Amino acid sequence: MQKSVTIGFGLAGLVWMGFIAWLVMQVPMRDGSRDWFGSMNPGGWMAWTFPAALFFTIIAGLLVLFTWLAIRFPETPRKGVLGINSTRGDRLFISLLGSAFICLIWLGVVGTPVWGALVIALIYAAAVFRWV
Amino acid sequence: MDKPVNNRAWFLVMPVLALVAFSALLPLMTVVNYSLQDTFGGNQFFWAGLEWFEDVVHSDRIRAALGRQVLFSASILAIEIPLGIFIALNMPKKGVWASFCLVVMALPLLIPWNVVGTIWQVFGRVDIGLLGYTLTKLGISYNYVNDPIAAWITIIVMDVWHWTSLVALLCYAGLQSIPDAYYQAAKIDQASRWKVFRYIELPKMQGVLLIAVLLRFMDSFMIYTEPFVLTGGGPGNATTFLSIDLVKMAVGQFDLGPAAAFSLIYFLVILVISFVFYTLMTKEGEAL
Repeated sequence: MQKSVTIGFGLAGLVWMGFIAWLVMQVPMRDGSRDWFGSMNPGGWMAWTFPAALFFTIIAGLLVLFTWLAIRFPETPRKGVLGINSTRGDRLFISLLGSAFICLIWLGVVGTPVWGALVIALIYAAAVFRWV
Repeated sequence: MDKPVNNRAWFLVMPVLALVAFSALLPLMTVVNYSLQDTFGGNQFFWAGLEWFEDVVHSDRIRAALGRQVLFSASILAIEIPLGIFIALNMPKKGVWASFCLVVMALPLLIPWNVVGTIWQVFGRVDIGLLGYTLTKLGISYNYVNDPIAAWITIIVMDVWHWTSLVALLCYAGLQSIPDAYYQAAKIDQASRWKVFRYIELPKMQGVLLIAVLLRFMDSFMIYTEPFVLTGGGPGNATTFLSIDLVKMAVGQFDLGPAAAFSLIYFLVILVISFVFYTLMTKEGEAL
């Protein structure tokens, strides 16, 4: 059972990587190079661009990864500094939600680009997974 | 007895997931896509990056709307929660009058939002409305059309009229679940009415009260129809709450990019507050 689950999720991981490769191929060309911010389907449904598509693909990948972790390495909720019972999934949610606010605060105080906010968000996420 | 566990049962929820994907997930993803781009119509989009988010974060107009929204939610919670508890405590516990009160209390909840707005719009008019006409005849200056304070009072009273019943009914359900033995014990101890409320009724209502606060906060934070029908966000921008401002931006001005960024931030705020409430509620459930 465990083996078939791992194989199934491994295949899902391969599909995920294949999807990212497909996304890269869909990036439009301009003046002989890839226009990473150009419309992937001009005039089409949902107005896709590569950064937005990559963002959702990473979120989907994280959800699949954490589902696999929950099945492969079952855990009991633990109580951290916030005093609430949390599982890995809860900590992922808290990390993503907090990161969104870190980026917004960064935009309000510093402005673009938000690379600094991304670094802070990663540190924040590591702290959440360690102590929450 | 061990419960059988079969993860293949997850496939049974696939139809629901597909439905949620089409009704919520795909529109949300589209909003994210729009928030990063600019359009001049014709379904043609141009990359704008995080520009709209920066604009929204720095917008005085949106900050003012947020301030009004928080003030509104805080005001109605400060009135509806104590009033709901008070009504629930004074409702008959059993008999014909209990059923009668329950029906009467449920009536405002059955009226659609736009109808509530229309009722109060007519009710508050100084020329034909019972409230507006009476207040004017009594010499009280009241006109919700051009006086911001009157508009605010009318909207708050309208919301209290519409939704206090929900709080009262939830509290009533919480009160009904308290066994008589608690009251008998309190009587033996000669506990005062206040102490019965403080140490028996209030702790037993805590769970339903949290649900009531969560429901009322979420609903008031997203309120649109009633104030839109009653005042249209006016006079000026005095009652322009977040959702009214958002609709003005998205539909009135057709600024899809800024409106998408605005709605995502709005969504995030609601998500974080819901999470906090949900955590508190489940924590409370674990403690019980």
